[in-house]
Amino acid sequence: MKIGSVGALGLAVLALANVCLGSKVEAQQKVVIYSSNDDTLHKLAFAAFTKETGIAVEPISAGSGVVMKRIQTEKDRPGGDIVWGVSRSLLDTNKQYFSAYLSKNNDATPTQYREPTNLWIGNNLHLLVILQNTKVLPEDQGPKTWADLLDPKWKGKIAFTDPANSGSAYSTVTMLVDHFGGGDAGWAKVKGLLANTKVLNRSSLVFQGVGNGEYPLGISLEYAGYVWAAGGAPVKTIYPADGTIAQMEGVAIVKGGPNPDSAKAFVDYINRKDVREMIIKDTFRRPARQDLDLSKLPGSMPALSSIKLLPYNEVAWTEVRAATLEKIKDMIQETR
Amino acid sequence: MKALTIAPLARLPVAMGVAAFLFLGLFLLYPLWGVLSASVLTPDGTAFTFGNYARMLSRSFYRASVVNTLMIGALATITTTLIAVPLAFAIARLDIPGKLLLIGLAALPLVLPSFVGAYALLLLFGRAGVVTQFLNSWGVPFGSIYGMPGIVAVYTLTLYPYVLLPTVAALKAIDMSVEEAAQSLGSAPARTFRTITLPIVIPSVLSGALLVLIETLENFGVPAVLAEDMPVLSVETYKLFIGETAANPSAAGVLGVLLIVLTASVLIIQRRYLASRRFATGARVAPPLIKISTGWRIVATSYSWAVVLLALVPFFAILVLSFMEFRGPVLHAAFSLKNYVELFASAQRPLANTLLFATLAAGAAAFIGVPVGWILVRTRSVWTGLLDVTATLPFAVAGTILAIGLVIAFNAGGLVLTGGWLIMVLAYTVRKLPFTVRASSAILHQIDPALEEASISLGVSPLRTLIRLVIPLMLGGIISGMVLTWVTVASELSSTVVLYSGPWRTLTIVMFQALEGTGAGVAVAAASVLIAITLVPVLVAYRLLRRYELSML
Amino acid sequence: MCRSFGPVQAVRNITLQIGDGEFFTLLGPSGCGKTTLLRMIAGFTELDVGEIRIGDKRIDILPPHRRNIGMVFQNYAIFPNLTVEGNVAYGLKARKVGNAEIATRVADALALVRLHGYGARWPHQLSGGQLQRVAIARALVIRPQVLLLDEPLSNLDARLRVDMRGEIRELQQRLNITTVYVTHDQEEALAVSRRIAVMQAGRIEQLDTPQAIYRRPTSLFVAQFMGTTNVLTGVVGSRTSGPARVRVGAAEVQVADLDAREDESVSVCIRPEALQILGDGQTAPAGMAQLEATIANAEFIGALSRLDVTLAGGIPLKIAVLDELAGYAKPGKSIRVAYDPSRVIAFRRDGS
Repeated sequence: MKIGSVGALGLAVLALANVCLGSKVEAQQKVVIYSSNDDTLHKLAFAAFTKETGIAVEPISAGSGVVMKRIQTEKDRPGGDIVWGVSRSLLDTNKQYFSAYLSKNNDATPTQYREPTNLWIGNNLHLLVILQNTKVLPEDQGPKTWADLLDPKWKGKIAFTDPANSGSAYSTVTMLVDHFGGGDAGWAKVKGLLANTKVLNRSSLVFQGVGNGEYPLGISLEYAGYVWAAGGAPVKTIYPADGTIAQMEGVAIVKGGPNPDSAKAFVDYINRKDVREMIIKDTFRRPARQDLDLSKLPGSMPALSSIKLLPYNEVAWTEVRAATLEKIKDMIQETR
Repeated sequence: MKALTIAPLARLPVAMGVAAFLFLGLFLLYPLWGVLSASVLTPDGTAFTFGNYARMLSRSFYRASVVNTLMIGALATITTTLIAVPLAFAIARLDIPGKLLLIGLAALPLVLPSFVGAYALLLLFGRAGVVTQFLNSWGVPFGSIYGMPGIVAVYTLTLYPYVLLPTVAALKAIDMSVEEAAQSLGSAPARTFRTITLPIVIPSVLSGALLVLIETLENFGVPAVLAEDMPVLSVETYKLFIGETAANPSAAGVLGVLLIVLTASVLIIQRRYLASRRFATGARVAPPLIKISTGWRIVATSYSWAVVLLALVPFFAILVLSFMEFRGPVLHAAFSLKNYVELFASAQRPLANTLLFATLAAGAAAFIGVPVGWILVRTRSVWTGLLDVTATLPFAVAGTILAIGLVIAFNAGGLVLTGGWLIMVLAYTVRKLPFTVRASSAILHQIDPALEEASISLGVSPLRTLIRLVIPLMLGGIISGMVLTWVTVASELSSTVVLYSGPWRTLTIVMFQALEGTGAGVAVAAASVLIAITLVPVLVAYRLLRRYELSML
Repeated sequence: MCRSFGPVQAVRNITLQIGDGEFFTLLGPSGCGKTTLLRMIAGFTELDVGEIRIGDKRIDILPPHRRNIGMVFQNYAIFPNLTVEGNVAYGLKARKVGNAEIATRVADALALVRLHGYGARWPHQLSGGQLQRVAIARALVIRPQVLLLDEPLSNLDARLRVDMRGEIRELQQRLNITTVYVTHDQEEALAVSRRIAVMQAGRIEQLDTPQAIYRRPTSLFVAQFMGTTNVLTGVVGSRTSGPARVRVGAAEVQVADLDAREDESVSVCIRPEALQILGDGQTAPAGMAQLEATIANAEFIGALSRLDVTLAGGIPLKIAVLDELAGYAKPGKSIRVAYDPSRVIAFRRDGS
């Protein structure tokens, strides 16, 4: 009996300490940001934000799946103020957890990159691209289009991320189904492409793999190619000539979060023009607002208008995601 | 008479048992139910069904993941045992140089988070790896480390201490006279080893092999990197729970349950087997070193050092990498201290957190695990058996699953823990509890219960007897269990990544984020720091273990 | 058989011969080297110098498993991973004996130690005495040329110890097997042995039959080690014909056979049972000498009574008598004690 009560007492003390320690931190003005962006971007953006506003940032970073899962499980007692770095489809499917805010950068952001009722706003665009390691595969021998990737000579040479674990990989597959003619014909071609790929478990493995020369080719995101190239790796970013799509990532304020004012300050800050320039310089995230001259900025990324963009119905593909993922999974299994 | 004497004595184990059940019920079973119940419920959560199981198991992809997982587990367990038992024999019974250093280094693989180790191994043995390129340039047909052979090799070299340590302890604990008896009966040394020594240490070998098997079933970091597109249960479970796109609680629950059932059945089989084979030989005289010829001595020495050093390759790689220049994610062949400068600019708090959490969890695990170990050894009832299974269950639960369960269970309602540090320490304590339980019960088997009875008969209450007499006697076992907890918590990732919040980042989170992001340099520097700080308790443990005959595990 | 050992610290320059079928005991306090000697015979401790033979065959150059010697260990060393049957069959399997023969010999061996029907049991299901029997059966079943027993009874309780030593003795006689028995218990040694070697500090102090060792110890160490004895120090008186006289305090003790000079200091040993109390008015029988003493304490312990008395000058003396103590066992009472001078043994200062 003694041990039991001692244990219970200990537990109570610990719980109390937990609360106290937690609340002690709240004395300073702060904002809790759930983010699936990477560490480099966090360090850059948060340090600058805190320096300017005096608001401390507590980042919780994890894959966007984990982040959204956490917001869902915490819905009765939200621990976060901001969710950042999450794809449009995830933002759309979790709208009920956000509170609306009209950003100061609203007008500078094209309408297709904002939520009509201001529940979220886009920050940056990820173009789906092909990365090529020019040391393993000479520059002129690389593919030019998505269709080129169907060539059996690439079997086992293309790194790809499991669509079950990556929103952009899911978008890539579904975009290509439409692009290759849709329906069974589109799926048949996609199957041919999947047969050539190594389906890795995490998106970071794809750009690390191409950057380090493990795979000559990888299907990845635009910024990764520029980051690795800027670091001195022989990585070339290929914009497929047959077109691609721009995946938007955005920011939203968590409904009922503990620091709503700080949250609003962050939403305004992160889309400011000078901040976006700073972010391009270090991390090559293509901004959602279209009033920056990319050619004059590091990396000299091509303007969005110069890239062929394919139509893509993100909402429709998100609705059928569960069944589509099973289909992809089976297809991957069949082609191993 | 019997009733009069037994009843008061039973009060203490009953009270402690109830407390232990409450703890495990609240922080293990209840959270697990929250996660896994989805697997037996219809999508709307109202009715009971096995449909989810039928649906998952009808998919060849998931069946393949079960088969692959079992194959990897079985192969890795076999190779680990085959490598570790001869090594243990050499360390325990042969005269080879540098033995203490050898066994000290042999524990190191346990402190390296597997995802960092896998990263380092890719740089060495991947398709474009340094070693691969070198071997290929010499015409050696070495492919790469990907796939099942690579995963099995990595597991073997990182998990062999789990078999090595208890086997060395058991080999040293055999009473000399048993082997002498065999020889005096006309059995040659080799036959004596095969028919007497080996069967006696087999239970210890098996308990170590079991840990290896469970770790391979549960581990996420290694297959996530090395499996490429081979489906593996732990990775698929993770993706289904918290994949960016595929979050599917019922499907994930099915795989989670499969993982637990696999592990639990292995545990049960082992227990059944061991129940009839508990060879407590209270050793009076440890067997002497076996005299061998110089030739065999060279063979044994080279073998031992080759295994231990090979297992340390990822360590050396990480250490070297941490002093090399990274521009963004890209490695350049130049010396630099930049990684450490960058690390210490931002990672002091995570480092402090890691130390704090590991210490708290080791303390809490001992506080709960030692009484549980005592109950398991000193009492015998249906409840004891149940407690045994419950206290071993954490081995069978992947960190991710437990962590998600804890978030679901303690995010609202009477006890809110999310967002703080306590939930992390609780997760660690529960996950590592089997270490202290097993270490304490192992050492208790060697302590004569008559000592406790003597103390109680002298008028000292059972609780005071436990605290003042038994626990000091158990100290060696308790400390080794705590060290193992400390070290594995310090390198824990899978539950941390789900539970950490705000200022409570740990060093492994720093590594994970750096590796996932674009700063591998910071990751390897952090890993080097982690190795350095975990070395301290490991060395302390070894000083103690020398005295306590490696009774850990 | 001839065995001689080199100058090992534990065992120094020992040469001894053990007869065929003999029950030979190595007796001594712990650390005297008796176990080392036994382990040398078994082959677990190497000889520095010397050799060991069984019959004409030199065995010290053979590894332990080729010596064909049965050994029973102090802690039995029963293989915990084998059943009783497995334990007993172990040595036969090593000798590649056929299965049918193994079965009969194991059954016979178990019957021999009265463990018939226990073959399928596991060691942890047996009591200490039963384990002991398994160990003996296991050692005997291989038909060893020599049986070595290393303190085999020390882990048993007093009652079982007496029973088991009888059984061992009986078995040994029945099988007529040469046996070397190690013990630190003099009573056990006396009860079972044909000959005893009393060892101290790696040397054999005395090697003789139990009776001789008990009655005629050749050194003070042996006299004191072999059961209770009175040791009195005194000075040799004038040497005339007849028994020598040794002055012990104010009393005088007669010694039949004394090899010492006049005025030399000696130790005199008299067994308590060699002393006999004379009743009032009773005179000492012919050839017996007598002493005056005062009873200090009396103790009735069943078959015997023990008396502590003091001689003139306050020197204490122990007496054991079979008679009842009634009547004269009152502290303070003066008595006379008779003894046979031939049962008094004197040693010089150096113990010889």
